[in-house]
Amino acid sequence: MLRLARIPAGIGSRRVGDRPLRLVLTDDLRRGRGSVFFRWWFAVPFFLWLSLWSIVAFFAALLNWLATLLLGRSPGPLHRFLSRYVRFATHVYAYTNLATEQLPKFDGGQGYELDLEIDPPGRQRRLTILFRLPLALPAIVLIVMLAGGGFSVFTTMWSGGISSSGLLGTAALLGWFASIAWTRMPRGLRDVIVYVVFYGAQLWAYLLLLTDSYPCADPGIAIPRPPARDDPVSMRVEEEPQRSRLTVLFRLPLCFVHLVWLITWTILAWLAAVLKWLVLLFGGKSPSGIHEFIAAYQRYQCHVLAYLYLIANPFPGFVGKPDSYPVELQIAAPEKQNRLTVLFRLVLVIPAALIASAYNGLLLTVAVLGWFASLVTGRMPVGLARAGALALRYCMQTSAYWLILTDSYPYSGPCRQESADTPVATEPGFG
Amino acid sequence: MATDTSAAPGTARGSGTSTRPWTRALAVLAALLAAGAWVWCARELWGTIVPAGLQLPHVDVHHFFSASLLRRTSYFDRFLDVDGLLGMLAQVAVLAVYARCGHRLMRESAAGRIGTGIMLALLGFALVWLAQVPFDLAAQWWERRHHVVHEGYIAGLLGSFLGLGASFVWISLAVALAMALAGKMRRWWWVVAAPLFAALALLSAFLTPYLITKTHPLRDPALVAEARTLEVHEGVAGTSVLVQNRSGTGPEVNAETAGIGPSQRVVLWSTLLDGRFSRAEIGVVMSHEFGHVTGAHVLKQVGWLALFLIPATALVALATRRRGGLGRPEAVPVALFVWVVLGLVTLPFFTLVTRRYETESDWSSLQATHDPAATRQAFERLASTNLSDPDPPTWAYLLYARTPTLAQRIAMTEAWEEHASR
Repeated sequence: MLRLARIPAGIGSRRVGDRPLRLVLTDDLRRGRGSVFFRWWFAVPFFLWLSLWSIVAFFAALLNWLATLLLGRSPGPLHRFLSRYVRFATHVYAYTNLATEQLPKFDGGQGYELDLEIDPPGRQRRLTILFRLPLALPAIVLIVMLAGGGFSVFTTMWSGGISSSGLLGTAALLGWFASIAWTRMPRGLRDVIVYVVFYGAQLWAYLLLLTDSYPCADPGIAIPRPPARDDPVSMRVEEEPQRSRLTVLFRLPLCFVHLVWLITWTILAWLAAVLKWLVLLFGGKSPSGIHEFIAAYQRYQCHVLAYLYLIANPFPGFVGKPDSYPVELQIAAPEKQNRLTVLFRLVLVIPAALIASAYNGLLLTVAVLGWFASLVTGRMPVGLARAGALALRYCMQTSAYWLILTDSYPYSGPCRQESADTPVATEPGFG
Repeated sequence: MATDTSAAPGTARGSGTSTRPWTRALAVLAALLAAGAWVWCARELWGTIVPAGLQLPHVDVHHFFSASLLRRTSYFDRFLDVDGLLGMLAQVAVLAVYARCGHRLMRESAAGRIGTGIMLALLGFALVWLAQVPFDLAAQWWERRHHVVHEGYIAGLLGSFLGLGASFVWISLAVALAMALAGKMRRWWWVVAAPLFAALALLSAFLTPYLITKTHPLRDPALVAEARTLEVHEGVAGTSVLVQNRSGTGPEVNAETAGIGPSQRVVLWSTLLDGRFSRAEIGVVMSHEFGHVTGAHVLKQVGWLALFLIPATALVALATRRRGGLGRPEAVPVALFVWVVLGLVTLPFFTLVTRRYETESDWSSLQATHDPAATRQAFERLASTNLSDPDPPTWAYLLYARTPTLAQRIAMTEAWEEHASR
């Protein structure tokens, strides 16, 4: 599991409770089949109302920008109006994407299953008000990647290995099927949607000058109490935000040799997986030699990707040695697997692969934004690193499932190890 | 060697004094034999088909090139020469600092002994690349200004950045081999490493043709027929001739021979075939390239590299002793510095060898085409298309010229005419 370790003193600034924008989640994951089946039809009136509201909000935002620039803080009535607008938009997107069950109210009032608490207007720095839009560009890039360019639009177009549906659309689509089947939204998928919706809310609050707190990509901000899990494939992260500018600058060429080696190893690992598949299917018992080989490959892949995507700083080794890297994949000993799930692994992995492809897009965005940030500041924004770690952990779990290391299905949301401390979410400032 | 101190002093000393001279004599003999073999190989590689004692007549470049072209080419080339020289100095300066401080970057690695060494080597070359960027950009600006290349700055920079990644793969392999050997064999790692590096160079030479992109077979039936005739004349029938699409990169013209054995091929730039060169002149260029195939020049150059590798790796082993030998990652920055300096010091020798082989190819081409007029015309045209200075200053010639000067090549044509008329 991804363990969100404590941030060393001086790096994190504010705790979750201190943030001017907070998420209140009371959803109990239960869903009605009818409400889910017609969800996108039910959402139409809300979107119409939101569109009308958006026109007014646009002019209010311009007025608010001028007033805040002059006064140094957002005027109360404008702040209240725009807060309601952001809250209503959040409710609508949460409802449309199946993060909630209840129909939203049209007035953006409080008390919804996924709600926002927004602090009264506070003093803001005029320079950040003046340049709010360019300052928000990295966060806009990230939300475009997370939401796929449209909050609930799912397309099956692929571009460079990145699903254009984004994490939100993919999770919502899979959640739709799951909710219809079990009348319950899987917690992992719901939490992913909550994470994206809340990041969007943070961005709108920042853009509309409701706060000068920069949107934080840390999943722990959205889900401060993730479930404790004991998966056979989990990830341990030792957070170290310091980055060497030199190795950041040359991160891609430095990884070339690792990528060549990884490709070679991947071919062998796939062959080993086929062998293991046959053995499990006919013998029923997992051979430990093959398991260890694939596990070493998985660890190595995790080290290389963590390095490539700037989630970790040190240059990784070439053999996937256990406990040798700050971002470490922990893989349990071979266990007995259900033959039926082994037989249909190729089919069963499809939903996870869809989510993993969306997470891959997030990883790429984290790497690009983190590259610039690390090059300028010598530090990787903690929020970005944690978002990247979540994405990497999911991709690794999917890969382990696909390579028949385990029959435990990947968990898509933020979570913690059963033995680990409760995570401390912080606001790292950027990311 | 461990000595049993409990044994009688006289006996121990006696046996030591009796074996040491023999060991030394054997070592000296082995060294002499190795040196002899080295010299014999060098002599074999040095030989060409150009008649020994061939005297090149003096050629007045003003007779073949207009004064304005000579001024233009000289002006163009000097900037690039000085820019290149400054780039080399920057390279040495950066690596000197890196040799001193580079080991501090070991903390950026979690990759163990060899992995850390690889990372330090890669970072060293990355720094060299970074130091070269301003000089590369200056050279590109100059070439664009003179309409020799058309490639944009971003494309050029991106291409060289990605090329860095590809070269990193080879560097990593070489460093991993050297460090693994140094970990096992301590001071004598270079004895095994030198032939292994030579094998890597051979592999690289073999694979290079497969990495040349945007190629297609020669399509013009007349040129294909001419290529076949020339191949037969030069004894390399069946050599593959490809055309590399260079449209959009600039008017520069070139051709190359790449590969060894089954991978060997001649690659003509598409700019050569765009109508500026006559059919006879294209024939001269093709037969020149076939001359490289006849002379096995790619293989011979790998041979020279192998000969260079023996003393070079020994020197690297010697230079890294103070940092505990190349088995330790902290010695890698020093090794890089020594390696690059050795490369620069021996550069004039390697350009000399290359010029020698180019001369041999020119001779071979004249023997095959029997067309000195077309050869002369081709050289004259190369001066204007590539802005090559026909008569560069000696320092630039010794350092950079990988082909004889155009003046020398024209002189060679005249010498061949005289030789053929005898």
